[in-house]
Amino acid sequence: MSRPPVWPASRRHSRMRSRKRMKDLPYDLWEPVIGLEIHAQLNTRSKLFSMAPNRFGDEPNTNISYICTGQPGALPLLNKEAVRKAVQFGLAIGGKISHFSTFDRKSYFYPDSPRNFQITQFESPLIRGGAVSADVKGITKTFQVNRAHLEDDAGMLKHFTNFAGIDYNRAGTPLIEIVSEPCIHSPKEASAYAQAIRAILLYVDACDGNMEEGSLRIDANISVRPKGEQALRPRVEIKNMNSFSFLEMAIAGEVSRQIALYLSHPHRPFLELIPPGTYRWDADLKQTVLMRTKESADDYRYFPEPDLPPLLITEDYIDKIRDALPELPHNRFKRYVSDLGLTEYAASTLINEKALSDYFEEANAICKNPRLLCNWITVEFAGRLKDKGKTLIDLGIPSQHVAKLVQMIDQHKITSRIAKDVADEMVESPGMDPEAIVRQNPDYQPMDDTASIEPIVDQVLSENPQSVADFKAGRDKAFAFLVGQVMKLTRGKASPQVVNDLLRRKIQ
Amino acid sequence: MADFDRQTLEHLKKLCRIECDEAEEADILNSLKRIIEYFAQFDEVQIEKGASKHSVLNGMTGNRWREDIPETLLTREEFLSNAPDQIAGMIRVPPVLKTQ
Amino acid sequence: MNRMHYLSAIELRDAFLKGEVTAQNIAQHFLKRIEKHGSALGAFLSVLGPRVLLKAEALDKKRTHGKPLGKLAGIPIAIKDNMHIAGEITTCGSKFLKNYKAPFDATAVRLLEEEDALLIGKTNLDEFAMGSSNENSAYFPVNNPWNLTRVPGGSSGGSAAAISARLALLATGSDTGGSIRQPASFCGVVGFKPTYGRVSRYGLVAFGSSLDQIGPFATTVADAALVMETIGRSCPYDATSLDFPAESYKLTQDLKDIKIGIPNRFLENLRPEVQANYLSAIDIMRSLGATAVEIDLDILKYSIAVYYVLATAEASTNLARFDGIRYGVRSPSAKNLEQIYDFSRKEGFGREVKKRIMLGTFVLSAGFQDAYYKKAQKIRSLILDAFEKAYEICDAVIMPVATSGAFAAGAIHDPVEMYLQDIFTVPANLAGLPAISVPSGFDSEHLPLGIQIIGPQMCDVSVMRYAYAYEQATRLAGVPPAFADEEP
Repeated sequence: MSRPPVWPASRRHSRMRSRKRMKDLPYDLWEPVIGLEIHAQLNTRSKLFSMAPNRFGDEPNTNISYICTGQPGALPLLNKEAVRKAVQFGLAIGGKISHFSTFDRKSYFYPDSPRNFQITQFESPLIRGGAVSADVKGITKTFQVNRAHLEDDAGMLKHFTNFAGIDYNRAGTPLIEIVSEPCIHSPKEASAYAQAIRAILLYVDACDGNMEEGSLRIDANISVRPKGEQALRPRVEIKNMNSFSFLEMAIAGEVSRQIALYLSHPHRPFLELIPPGTYRWDADLKQTVLMRTKESADDYRYFPEPDLPPLLITEDYIDKIRDALPELPHNRFKRYVSDLGLTEYAASTLINEKALSDYFEEANAICKNPRLLCNWITVEFAGRLKDKGKTLIDLGIPSQHVAKLVQMIDQHKITSRIAKDVADEMVESPGMDPEAIVRQNPDYQPMDDTASIEPIVDQVLSENPQSVADFKAGRDKAFAFLVGQVMKLTRGKASPQVVNDLLRRKIQ
Repeated sequence: MADFDRQTLEHLKKLCRIECDEAEEADILNSLKRIIEYFAQFDEVQIEKGASKHSVLNGMTGNRWREDIPETLLTREEFLSNAPDQIAGMIRVPPVLKTQ
Repeated sequence: MNRMHYLSAIELRDAFLKGEVTAQNIAQHFLKRIEKHGSALGAFLSVLGPRVLLKAEALDKKRTHGKPLGKLAGIPIAIKDNMHIAGEITTCGSKFLKNYKAPFDATAVRLLEEEDALLIGKTNLDEFAMGSSNENSAYFPVNNPWNLTRVPGGSSGGSAAAISARLALLATGSDTGGSIRQPASFCGVVGFKPTYGRVSRYGLVAFGSSLDQIGPFATTVADAALVMETIGRSCPYDATSLDFPAESYKLTQDLKDIKIGIPNRFLENLRPEVQANYLSAIDIMRSLGATAVEIDLDILKYSIAVYYVLATAEASTNLARFDGIRYGVRSPSAKNLEQIYDFSRKEGFGREVKKRIMLGTFVLSAGFQDAYYKKAQKIRSLILDAFEKAYEICDAVIMPVATSGAFAAGAIHDPVEMYLQDIFTVPANLAGLPAISVPSGFDSEHLPLGIQIIGPQMCDVSVMRYAYAYEQATRLAGVPPAFADEEP
């Protein structure tokens, strides 16, 4: 007995639809409209307006000063390095750097705010416009950035059963807030955009990109509309997501929820169905939780910060920073694909972690075999290191060693099979030179002299007459089998080239 | 201008997080009404387009900013010595709903 | 040396340097005066007895060992209690901060101590510097030394009264809308507000950030100039502080070739006494070589409204940090976070402070910001323009300081009438200009009056110079009879 179809047969059923049937919604008729606001902590040594150290993970209230604890009589003083990093980022996304930008006070009461106002840039941000390119399912898409500005972070409220504790270490940390245009139309696009932003921040050394530590937090503004409709429908905000997979999940869930509501109540006013509100992503419950509806939203009463004069940026200053920009991730991606012949997947794996990409470049400069090298870094070694939870760099395996391993394979000094064993040893003893590993183990010595291999080839041929016959009859697989047998007997040491040649000669 | 009334006052109290007792509130309401009426004189002043960019910061040249050198000027001990309530190195407050 | 309180600060310092009196003697003398007259006046909120005696002892040692001594060596100085002395309580005249220990020195305070001044106590003020009479202190009011039933002016009433009664020879005040000049006028002493940004605001508890300045009270212009030489310099911790080195204040005794600007139409409705006093001051300046020119400052009639929009807007955010969370008094009846905010601020703030915070919140709030805050900002630029234009034809603007002599405590109930006390003083704050109040005589009730000299931005030295010339020709400062003691 087959189950009756749920969709599209019965529309009545759709009103009682449970969340489990979201997958049956006609997605191709609806378009999500998503804008992302990304808050990235700048990796300066001191805070934005306070001289206290900018560090994560220390004992509560040990990285504080007068301004970031809101002491009366304290005055903000702008960190010039924060400005430089922000300008670098702005140039990296092709944005326009404002010659004249100002700071504003944003008022709201909350215990993690040391002054109950944040200093931000509401009226005239430092950066306007810009764009990032990212690869979404094999297609390069370009996303527009609306603006980016500097502001200071709040402290941390830690919740316990009977009380809450406030730690101001994070209060005053420099943030760059990057606001996209609402030009993102799927969870995957959102994730790709956010990862591209993160990659650029890493490349210009503006942020350490450590998601677990909250160096990057993402707010999403989400609405949906029927495809083709121009007007924007009410949107919902989900705040403070610090993982790309959560971002995708949260957006997908919210998009489904909104579409389902519109479908099941086709005549209700939009604002009634989707009242604007702010949600928080709860990482433990893995769902969005309502924080507040728009009615109780704050009136931030933005006005110019009287303690800070306007920030004046000259063309000279911008030029100097532009000249010092490193190669940017998407350019590197294009170079990897077109010049080095890497697949798009392999290229994106490398470029999303700048340190890894730099490592690859160092190694490639020595061994000059990008495809093989990339495979060894992103597949072979990555696989071996997965359980340890560390990277090649963490483990301390120098890029020259990986380069040498690849070189040895290229130069037929070792076979790929032997190389795998050598790699195992390199992981066990990080820092050990692969050439030394090979020298010290006779089993790894290649066997490429015809004299030693020939007898074994003869042996295999005489033991496997059927395969010889099969091959002569046209079955190529039989040849591979014979090669394999020789390799088995030589314990992988025989040079495949030599084995091939010998076998072919002898069979003919 | 619109009436400054008790409702406006209630809204302001919420925005700036101040409670008052009754006597205070009546006096504050009357005073604010009076003062805001006094502000109506702004309507007499015409502002031409492109009003002056003068500010008290006219004498400023160049940016007032600082080098990125961290300094711990306030120790935890000093900070908490003024605190009304503290625990385990943190400022202590009653449990808070996660609303931000 | 029983009468050392009759000396000027410079004279006392010179006596100390010559060895005619020790720093410890000085400290003890003034501590005795404060003890004798303290409660009658209410000028001090805290007296730094042990601290000043220790400093005095160290200073005496320095002198006997021939070590170099600072410009203010041995001078007892009172600090308004909204400026930090590290380790001492800063109350700002509020219950909220009654136990708040300042974690750092205000730059101005540090500079004074570096010049070996003897910090003798923290003076009373209107709560959070909000007021024109010092009736708004949460602790007790300050009385005018010339008549104890009268107010000393505000918000720096304590400092003005302390100088007037010679309980100290120098004092600091803060001036946001006239809070140094008006009490100086009411108490018959010299009070100076520098160009905005001339003195660092670091360590001054902010009221109106774009208006506040720290400045000196003294019995003579030369004494005030000495303080300005010390504190009038760039501060790396205050981004609004002028990037300008300290200046020397050369004082001359004439006003030759100086043009003084008289805004006749703006001053149309002066009280007869104040008008007479004002005109006689102008005459004296003419006799010293100045030429009077008419200037147009009509726009100043909006200054009070502009000031009370902008100052309260800034104050509403500056005082948001007083929430009972990190420091200050937390309400014992608060059971949750919302109540911590609402009740602590209810119990910690006085009525005038509450009013101004709400007013400031109102003028910034959605739907009203354009009509009030933004409009006021635009009118402020017009005021700046008007002064610029005036200074094209004059070197200084002369105005009265206050609309009358000191009024009686409790006499003014209407908030607008109280705010209008500052009509002649707020313009200099709005335009960031240096301005001084110099004693110019007495009214019919023998209460002091003051004359105000306002200069262009960064002309602090000139303003002092003009004031000195006027002072030397008039010598109208005096000691209030009740405090004219022949001994401490």
